[in-house]
Amino acid sequence: MRRNLLNSLLLSLLFCLPLLAQDVSVSGRVTSSDDSSVLPGVSVQVKGTSRGTTTDANGAYKISVPANARLVFSFIGFSSQELAVGNQSTLNVKLLSGAQNLDEIVITAQGIERDKRSLGYSIQEINGSAISQRSEPNVLNALQGKVAGVSITTASGAPGASTNINIRGITSFTGNNQPLIVVDGIIFSNDVNNTQNTLFGSTPSNRLADINPESIESLNVLKGPAAAVLYGSRASAGAIVITTKSGRNQNNKTEVTLNSSYNVQNVYGLPQYQNSYGQGTLNNYVPNSSNSWGPAFSALSSVTNTQGKVVPYQAYPNNIRDFFTQGTILQNSVNIASGDQNRNYIIAIGNTLQKGIIPNTKFNRTNIQIGGESKLQNGLRVSGTGTYVQTVQQGIPGGNGGSAFGQITAIPRSYNLPGEAYQDTLTGRSIYFNPSAVNPNWSLYNETFNSQVDRFFGNFQLGYDIAKWLNVSYRVTGDTYTDRRKLVQQIGAGRAPTGDVTQDNFFRSEINGDLIINAHKEDVFLKGLNATLLLGNNVNQRKTQEVYLDAATLTIPGFTNVSNGSVFTASSENSTIRRLVGNYGQLSLSYNNYLFLELSGRADQSSTLPKNNGTYFYPGASVSFVPTDAFKVNSNVLSYVKLRGSIAKVGRDADPYLLNSVYVTSGYGNNVANINFPLSVNGNSIPGFGISSRIGSSNLTPEFVQSYEFGANVGLFKNRVNIDATYFNSHSTNQIFNAAISNSTGYDTRTTNLGSLRNKGLELVITGTPVRVGGFKWDVALNYTLIRNLVEFIAPGIKSAGIPGNGFIGSTPSIKEGLPYGVIIGNANSRTQTTDPTAANYDASGQYNGQYLINAITGAFAPTVANSVISNPQARYTAGLTNTFSYKGLALSVLVDTRQGGQLLSFGAAAQRSSGALYATGIDRDQPRILPGVIPVTAADGTVSYKPNNIQIPAQTYWQGIGGLQSEATVFDATVYRVREASLNYTLPKGLLNKTPFGSISVGVSGRNLFFYAPHFIADPELNTQGAGNIQGLDLQGPPNTRNFGVNLRATL
Amino acid sequence: MKFILPKKYLLVPLVLGMGACTNFLDVNQTPNNPLSVPPSVLLPAAEAGSAFANSNELNRFTSVIVQHLAGANNGPATYDVYQTNGGDFGNQWRTEIYDGALINYQKVIQIADVTNSKAYTGIAKIMKAYTFALATDVWGDIPYSQALLGEGNLQPRLDKQEDIYKGNTTLGIQSLFDLVREGEKDLDVALAANYSGLKPTNDDLIYGGDLNKWKAAGNTLLLKFAIQISNKEPKLAASVINEVLTGNKYITSNSQDLNQPFGGAVGSQDPVYTWTYVSLFRDDLILSTRYLNLLKGLSDPRLPIFFTKPAADYVTIDNGFRGVLPTPISSWSRYNTYVTGANGVGPVRLATNFQRAFILAEAAIRLGTPGDPQKLYEEGITASMTLAGVTPTQITAYLANPAVGTLTGTNEQKIAQIITQKYIAFTGNSLEVWNDLRRTGYPTQLPAQNAAGIDGTRPVRAVYINEEIQRNPNFPQTPIQSNVPVWWATK
Repeated sequence: MRRNLLNSLLLSLLFCLPLLAQDVSVSGRVTSSDDSSVLPGVSVQVKGTSRGTTTDANGAYKISVPANARLVFSFIGFSSQELAVGNQSTLNVKLLSGAQNLDEIVITAQGIERDKRSLGYSIQEINGSAISQRSEPNVLNALQGKVAGVSITTASGAPGASTNINIRGITSFTGNNQPLIVVDGIIFSNDVNNTQNTLFGSTPSNRLADINPESIESLNVLKGPAAAVLYGSRASAGAIVITTKSGRNQNNKTEVTLNSSYNVQNVYGLPQYQNSYGQGTLNNYVPNSSNSWGPAFSALSSVTNTQGKVVPYQAYPNNIRDFFTQGTILQNSVNIASGDQNRNYIIAIGNTLQKGIIPNTKFNRTNIQIGGESKLQNGLRVSGTGTYVQTVQQGIPGGNGGSAFGQITAIPRSYNLPGEAYQDTLTGRSIYFNPSAVNPNWSLYNETFNSQVDRFFGNFQLGYDIAKWLNVSYRVTGDTYTDRRKLVQQIGAGRAPTGDVTQDNFFRSEINGDLIINAHKEDVFLKGLNATLLLGNNVNQRKTQEVYLDAATLTIPGFTNVSNGSVFTASSENSTIRRLVGNYGQLSLSYNNYLFLELSGRADQSSTLPKNNGTYFYPGASVSFVPTDAFKVNSNVLSYVKLRGSIAKVGRDADPYLLNSVYVTSGYGNNVANINFPLSVNGNSIPGFGISSRIGSSNLTPEFVQSYEFGANVGLFKNRVNIDATYFNSHSTNQIFNAAISNSTGYDTRTTNLGSLRNKGLELVITGTPVRVGGFKWDVALNYTLIRNLVEFIAPGIKSAGIPGNGFIGSTPSIKEGLPYGVIIGNANSRTQTTDPTAANYDASGQYNGQYLINAITGAFAPTVANSVISNPQARYTAGLTNTFSYKGLALSVLVDTRQGGQLLSFGAAAQRSSGALYATGIDRDQPRILPGVIPVTAADGTVSYKPNNIQIPAQTYWQGIGGLQSEATVFDATVYRVREASLNYTLPKGLLNKTPFGSISVGVSGRNLFFYAPHFIADPELNTQGAGNIQGLDLQGPPNTRNFGVNLRATL
Repeated sequence: MKFILPKKYLLVPLVLGMGACTNFLDVNQTPNNPLSVPPSVLLPAAEAGSAFANSNELNRFTSVIVQHLAGANNGPATYDVYQTNGGDFGNQWRTEIYDGALINYQKVIQIADVTNSKAYTGIAKIMKAYTFALATDVWGDIPYSQALLGEGNLQPRLDKQEDIYKGNTTLGIQSLFDLVREGEKDLDVALAANYSGLKPTNDDLIYGGDLNKWKAAGNTLLLKFAIQISNKEPKLAASVINEVLTGNKYITSNSQDLNQPFGGAVGSQDPVYTWTYVSLFRDDLILSTRYLNLLKGLSDPRLPIFFTKPAADYVTIDNGFRGVLPTPISSWSRYNTYVTGANGVGPVRLATNFQRAFILAEAAIRLGTPGDPQKLYEEGITASMTLAGVTPTQITAYLANPAVGTLTGTNEQKIAQIITQKYIAFTGNSLEVWNDLRRTGYPTQLPAQNAAGIDGTRPVRAVYINEEIQRNPNFPQTPIQSNVPVWWATK
């Protein structure tokens, strides 16, 4: 409070200072030192300010600068140069070419532009061109395989499916582990508003999908808390800072850019099926069986189906593949940009029309953006931008219990899914071989999910240079959306046989106000020592509301208005509001452009914490040193070395309303049976409330993530090869956590501060240009990520706890002391052991340690041991390699990546294996088999020894014995190698366009997910039905992934 | 443009920057949930929880274990071959029993005590005793005396089943008997003329606020608890039964049954109805061939009332059957409206008149308590048949069959007869049937086909749920398997 007042007073005073600065005009030409060719588009920046311009087509520039200013010339592919203007009016510059520009300006927290060399922490910048035209409407998916330290998984190939992103691992037990997203200074919600559960539910998008990838100029990943400390609490999981295109670099020319792309999507990565045996069990045909353990196709020619019709008994090899269709994505956008550094505008319109691989699904998005800035004659800089987005998603629910995807894995090989009628024309009900389930084709049109998002986000900023060393600015940003969802289950639906319509309306709004004072002084205390001080104040408010109307038991078939319902008991409303005030500061010192020190700190006051604990402070410090400059190393081999290190602590507040215990509307049950209050009994509607299963805490304190990192950037061979290596270590403590407690307390969780979680890892980025001959260039970019995550401590007496979200009873994603985050606890097979003679299954011979125990009579596995860790979803390491070949206007880029290790628990695979549909189950089916393991042999004196299992069982018993959904056999190694994307672009030579209205034209073809190889899994292991969230490595029957091919066209006028 | 900045604009950042005032940040009171509620909304939620605990998954489990039904698919098919582990019944323990019924009875007691509303505390204590008995009967030793204290005790110890039933002053454990008696004392206060506390009406789903019926129900529960521990504690059991008989206020007619009603609309329906006819898991259970044969063998007129016969004859499978299931599914015999109620209105029968009669019949033989076993036995059969809607003529005919109607042979044989009739009468409440089966061994049954489990024998307890083993170090970290009997089941 006191500090805010001070800030404001200071600001008022500063506005009264007279204007002193006097500008001079400088012009010149920038050329390449290689061949003296002119360089258009070089950035010319007045050092320490945001003032700048770019060179025109002839390499010329003109800029007015304050006296004694220094100009920084930078251009991709060249080392930047810094020159004092002095009293010169002409300044010609030769830039030295290098594979990568190591001194380029990057955008850091709060939009602060920095020399990359001054940073003591790791930032990875992705150029807009690496994201756009990648056949991928969701920006996050386009980042896959490109950024070290970042893990990105998409829920599925369904249109608009949500994507999870974690930077440097999971840092909070149950909090939001997605990085903060900032778009043009706007804190941008990437919420999912997930209402899906494991059994049945819609799969909504993550809201970053509202961004049009075409509009992105650059994207910076601020990986550690040190980089992000200025954003405060919410950036403790890192931040992604997106800058959209603007008219700043147009050199006062108006340019119209047209982008157009068309992609086709096909389902990719389905498992291979057997086509020798049909529907049934124990070698018998059974019309309502979802198994394929029936007779061989050669044994029967026709059968009578559930509907009493005689149908041929034959394989339908593509009955699952043909459930899917070809998806298409048509994207068009137009940008009109004009202006220069001081006055510019942009108008952009983008449209994406996606038809999904699942019939009757789509993802359509329209973006309209207007932005601009102007420097008034009085020196006031005004800028603003506003974007309206409408995103329409239409999908069908997924999940294990009664969704189309739960059914699609339970289709016998002999069922003609595409060919059979799926809907009774008279009653509208589903027709299916299994009367207890619903035909997936019926689901497509009768169990539908719609979401329409209307979103507006924008900013408004005022800036003023009070003195040439002092700038004050105020920025207001807003981001608000409504997501109106409707889930329709027509009468006869699997999950709601009497029909159900839910109207689920989300509203979210966020407003931020930031006051930023920036002071810059050169040669303070001693020559060469420059100092920049930034002081800021942030006021934040977030509001949400969800209104949920559940109309159950429909009367009129096909009428999908909630007025058709007759039971409304599950309806609800949930609103939240939270506010935060933060004060922050950063002092940056640089000495002779080779030694840098940065100190930052932020104090937050949050509405969600108890008043006496509501204010918390956290600091950060970083150092960067460039020895090659300090010691003036002049080597053709070692061109550049930067050493850096940083340490930071970031605090995080709680979610709203965690301080109290409350009462909630009562309800009981699960998918077997359930009731909800008010209960309608004997004509009375009886309300019922119960105490919430969570105990509130009135003495919460903020949680903290402490981290340090150090690393080096090395440039070799005139910077043709660059290595960027980072080691990081973060430690999350005092977590605000709804800790699972013994249910016998009467509660399920208790909100408290507990636990300790550590992430450490290595990130390596190597870029290089192995070949550069004439016009031909071969660039290589490799990134490698290794993260080790460890749950060090949970709570006294508690060794493990489930992660909230949608696991499955019996396969519980958990935190467990001494293990990585997110291990899945479930039922493991009994095994022999050789360590404890007094415990069960002791093998005295020591011969069969760890072997499965087999029942000596049945030859099946002995009973499973519940509560065992069966799966660890964390990858050993991931790596991506991009090769780009360019020759004149032609560029070919191929990204291959791999994920090594990490496990996937797949209900889909387990279901298809035990149902006899998978290819492997058809091999030698008539031959008996033996489960791996040992049989206990009890001697006359009662001692138990073991011998290898030799009990023969039929194929069906074998494959079903290996394990159904709830067993360790559901777990697979998710190692995968993938050709993630490839693109070929051709830019037409300028000469060809001289007589046309076009400034440039480029055409390209691209493909995504072209090929994968998963040695240990039957399908594509890159699946997670949970989508964005803390639960990873679970496939609870969702849609498969896709392979995309596309063409694109880009033209400027 | 001249640099003019009117003074009022200077206030803009000032105002925005001054947000940290106390009021600005004082927005953390939830608008979504009440922080306090009257007992009248807690009681129905808690009562429904007890009924749900009895009749949802634990009923599906026990219905195949006692071989009333057979498991066709999913969980029940697994239970039917005696496989169960700590992954089962998590919902029951967590959301239905401890965090559903029990904690809310506890809250009713706390909140109603403030206004001296003994009508509420009395009902809550009786139902709390019923629900704790249900839990200990299923799992054995459970958190009891230290349970339901929230942060007051985050890791409650396990009380021995023996101490839960009998009480243990050294350990500060109140017996279930005393808990019921305490509840009845509260009811006496509420029944007095000068009572001024709150009284339930419609919110008491079970008896609509009729406290006399609650007293009768309380005493009937004392009978049930007493017979449950009669193997281990015959003297205590006899004294409790004598006490109840002396007090002479217990369930003596079908209209006094402790029944939880449900509604016919989606979201209000009896769970048995939902899992028999509505939900995705409706085809998990089918009438057991063994049970059909038993009822057919006795020419029991309740057979068509208990079970449906959509086809020419009853369609059943044997327990543990692993072959091709009968088709079409629509022909399967399932629970009929006697069990599910029309459209799922229930009720769930938690304690009944016929149960009381059978208990007294057994006690008269086993413990020598007052009453004529033969008369009580006939009373039990008659009560059950009347409840089922069997005509008096049919009842007379049924009892006239000497193999059914007359207790004969040794005491053990007579008890076997009584328990077999109780086994039939309690169709739909398999949990009580399982309790009797584990305590007495009657009716004698062959193991299911393909019986696996731990050692091929019928489960005699549920394994502690995984979540508790994770969360409370007082639970044995090596799970007690499902073949280890609970305390009262051993002789």
